[in-house]
Amino acid sequence: MRRLGLPLGRLSDEALLAGMATGAPETALAFVRRFQRMVFGIAVAVVDDPQLAEDIAQQTFERAWRHAQVYDSRRGSVKTWLGTITHNLAIDAVRARKATPVSPEDLDALLGIVTRTPEQWALADEAASRIRAAVAGLPRQQARAVVMAGIYGMTARQISEFEGIPLGTAKTRIRTAMGKLRTVLEPERADHD
Amino acid sequence: MTDRDCEWLRAVADELALGVLPGQERAEAIAHLDRCPACRERVEHLTFVGDGLLSLLPGSEPPAGFETRVTDRLGLNRPARRWRPRAGVAVAAAVATALGFGFGGWAVGTAIEGASAPPSRSSQPPGSAHGLLAASLLAPGHRPVGRIFAYTGHPGWVYMSVHLGRDGSGSDSRAGDASEAAGSRDGYPEAGKVGCRLERTDGTSVHLGEFSLDDAGRGYWGAPTRVDPATVSGARLLAADGSVLATARFDAGHNQ
Repeated sequence: MRRLGLPLGRLSDEALLAGMATGAPETALAFVRRFQRMVFGIAVAVVDDPQLAEDIAQQTFERAWRHAQVYDSRRGSVKTWLGTITHNLAIDAVRARKATPVSPEDLDALLGIVTRTPEQWALADEAASRIRAAVAGLPRQQARAVVMAGIYGMTARQISEFEGIPLGTAKTRIRTAMGKLRTVLEPERADHD
Repeated sequence: MTDRDCEWLRAVADELALGVLPGQERAEAIAHLDRCPACRERVEHLTFVGDGLLSLLPGSEPPAGFETRVTDRLGLNRPARRWRPRAGVAVAAAVATALGFGFGGWAVGTAIEGASAPPSRSSQPPGSAHGLLAASLLAPGHRPVGRIFAYTGHPGWVYMSVHLGRDGSGSDSRAGDASEAAGSRDGYPEAGKVGCRLERTDGTSVHLGEFSLDDAGRGYWGAPTRVDPATVSGARLLAADGSVLATARFDAGHNQ
């Protein structure tokens, strides 16, 4: 065992979360430093308002700190857990502000971002590159539907109104897209199990 | 549960997993999941897809001063006197965190072994920096079976991840259900819990707590406790019958 030789930044995500829950300021700071780009990135992508996104990001870390006890490593990584908290808070904020959570321009911009495949992203995260390629490979209408639901939190009814299509068609697009993405991610899921 | 219920659930599972199923339908779907493991598994898989979508969003640097504002909001930047009232909450949160990780037991500092008096609370060298101790947990055959971390700040804490595995040579646990006895020396106890003790240089040790391993011999566990870098020497992972499953040691030059 080494004394004082390991920086907090090299601690596992789970260990950092457990340490933060004890109220150790250094650990909390290390936790925030590790995840702030991801948390702020999700928040700003969904709400498209840097000030509101910062408030959501702050709320996310506060919620993680207060509710660390409900984190269960068997159900997903700390990163996923934190991302879900951020996303839920961002969706709530958007729903409170606007009847329609997304404008057509924002949707197209976001679709461009999530389907682009810069080499460094592919190298950084194989699972992300696989799902990015899968979304990019979906028919445009299905990709729009799954991004509207999965990222902007739009219901099938909202999607049908936004796209000017019957409710059943909106549901079918979501379902078909999710089915294809699930097929792509199944090997990854099996690796985790 | 009927096939018709499952058929309906399959029709809404994607929206449920993405969190966009409207209220009444959502309530009905969740009620169905409570009694249908197959549908529950289906929704869990779809939720994994939804999580994957979020991972596509690029990170973005928050405005300057964000870290400070967060830690202020958590009350962690205040002087010790001011955030002392949080201590109870923090410890409770840590306890709950431990339970959330599937850990059990919480008896920090309550069971000292050995004859020597416990070390002084002020034994940490003045001015020494708080830091993190780390070591490999080694099974009796020197097989690495995990890592232990001990944070020497205030409040201090210990965290460990363990993967004893089921296939260690000589493991009685390979006998499957027939092996009820805890403490297989190169495997892991299939039933009951494992315990952790922090060892000190004066020969005493302190029981930190207990936690359960899953079917694959994996477990994660954490506990708040004072960690004095001047007196702590290692740790032991014990089976329910007291046999040693793994040990961790400080560097030789750690103390003094």
